[in-house]
Amino acid sequence: MKRLFAILLAVAMLFSLTACGDSSYTTDIFAMDTVMKLTANGANAQAGVEAAVREINLLESQLSNTIASSEISQLNAGGSGTVSEETAQLLTAALTYAQKTDGAFDMTIAPVVSAWGITTDTPRVPSQEEITSLLQLVGSQHVTVSGTAVTLDAGCSVDLGGIAKGYASDRIAAIFAENGVTSGVVSLGGNVYACGMKDRKTGWRVAIQDPKDSANYAAVVTLSNQFAVTSGGYQRYFTAEDGTVYQHIIDPATGYPVKSDLTSVTIIGTNGTMCDAYSTALYVMGQEKAIAYWKAHSDEFDLVLINAGGQVLYTPNLEGNLESVEGSSYAYQVIR
Amino acid sequence: MRTKSSAKLKPCWWDALVVAAVLLLAGGVFFLFYLSNGSGSDHLTAVITHKGEEVERVDLTSLTADKTVTIDGTYGMTILLSTDGAQVISAQCPTQDCVHTGKISRAGQSIVCLPEQVVIQLVGAKSDIDVVIG
Amino acid sequence: MKLTTRQLALCAVLTALALGLSYMEGLFPVSLLIPLPGIKLGLANIVTVFALYELGVWPALAILVARCLLGSVFAGNASALIFSMMGGVLAMLVMIVLRRLRHLSIFGVSIGGAAAHNIGQIGAAIITLGSTAPVGYLPVLLVVALFTGALTGFVVSLLFRAMKNVHLMHE
Repeated sequence: MKRLFAILLAVAMLFSLTACGDSSYTTDIFAMDTVMKLTANGANAQAGVEAAVREINLLESQLSNTIASSEISQLNAGGSGTVSEETAQLLTAALTYAQKTDGAFDMTIAPVVSAWGITTDTPRVPSQEEITSLLQLVGSQHVTVSGTAVTLDAGCSVDLGGIAKGYASDRIAAIFAENGVTSGVVSLGGNVYACGMKDRKTGWRVAIQDPKDSANYAAVVTLSNQFAVTSGGYQRYFTAEDGTVYQHIIDPATGYPVKSDLTSVTIIGTNGTMCDAYSTALYVMGQEKAIAYWKAHSDEFDLVLINAGGQVLYTPNLEGNLESVEGSSYAYQVIR
Repeated sequence: MRTKSSAKLKPCWWDALVVAAVLLLAGGVFFLFYLSNGSGSDHLTAVITHKGEEVERVDLTSLTADKTVTIDGTYGMTILLSTDGAQVISAQCPTQDCVHTGKISRAGQSIVCLPEQVVIQLVGAKSDIDVVIG
Repeated sequence: MKLTTRQLALCAVLTALALGLSYMEGLFPVSLLIPLPGIKLGLANIVTVFALYELGVWPALAILVARCLLGSVFAGNASALIFSMMGGVLAMLVMIVLRRLRHLSIFGVSIGGAAAHNIGQIGAAIITLGSTAPVGYLPVLLVVALFTGALTGFVVSLLFRAMKNVHLMHE
């Protein structure tokens, strides 16, 4: 009898081993002018997330336009300067994307953006003359990067806001890897990095917001070891006294907020910096040019476009992954 | 130790307790497994795993045409995915249980091939969203 | 625990019987009627229940383990081992406990054992496949266990009744 109980007890104790589950660690922070949420799973979750948060704060202190002591602010103020190697690399990447997208993405748009002030407390509509003269300061030719020495032409300034969060997500991917984190998801404003899988079976489910209705989603994709960035005019805008709505994405060619036939652009890929830059660029380009650009670079990224005509257009690689949302009035179609 | 003569050989009412317990367990598992998956949900997704690794995950409701998935392995099989379900149309395994299962069309149902270690499971994609972008 | 030669011989015979039953039930293509992998009539459990009541825990356990090991060797299939072991051991544990409940007849014990056997098999399937999908088969298998368990209990009760005057163990 005693032996029987001993056996049963041993078996019962064996079952308790099944409780060795995964621990998970999440934190929310406010940085780079947006809300960020970082989640990681596994034994190194906390260490990985804390290292990532430190990196975000460091990057913000180096890259932000609104922090006077940042490398970028000082560069803008002084017209030239020496920056850290990472910042130099990021500036070079920004110049590359500007060139690839024919200026649709352009960090030198900063003076025009300041004039509009759409994301500040004092937005205004600049006059046409003001815009025309400010446009002289826009263009990659005004920036020279040589090693870690950067020079800006007089009056020009740069804004890395369209690429910094993407870059931060790339850095977080590296930090997670360094810390042995193999499962996690990070959302930096509209920039997502999905690390590994959520659990043994499923990737991370990322919903794309419906531009028309903030309470609903337009589509859901499942990602693993990928980045996703969405840009859309609906994210930030101001309504002038006469009722005109000016959204925050400025077309570097015209100096005015883009009047796009697209309401939302989502880029999915394996490089966060690229996804961030492209999401803005393709939004500026509009549907036809965006699709043409994707076709010319189809191995670099996948695309989800939502247009004003009520369609969700997505690239063939996402077939079987992208899920439509019941009740949304969108028509879903693959881009061929 | 009970001797042979004390073994109760005739069924009695207490046995009904065991029967009830088994039925309760069966019912409980049924509810938890099938109904919490949201049967008849809008987004049927077929998840195919081979030897414990997920090899395909297809949202059936977003298919524009039937999709064929071939599994290569010791035995191999061909799986047909359509908007209303999944089935194994041919397999080389000895028992052919997977083919005999026929077509599955509701969340929670699955087709299993033990020799090849393939599981085709339908899940209702009412599962939670991890993050929203936009 | 010392076994007499007679007891040892009895165990051997029972093991052979269990293997024979196990092979025989394999000829019955139950999966044609119900396309579930691993669905079995559970005829070999007749021996397990009989041994448990007649010989006690340890000999019954030994017969079970021997039957599983030899069965997988004869079938030429190593993965069958995890299935029969998990099913058989879980059934054995449950039946050992149920047997101590004086109010239960051999039917209750057998049904409990059959249910536990199927739960063990589903557990083995989950481990082998790396997916929780097999759980979907459990409700049906549990209901089937009610019948196979009752059948096993019935057969063993017939055996004991017939053997009322036979003293297998020379006690």
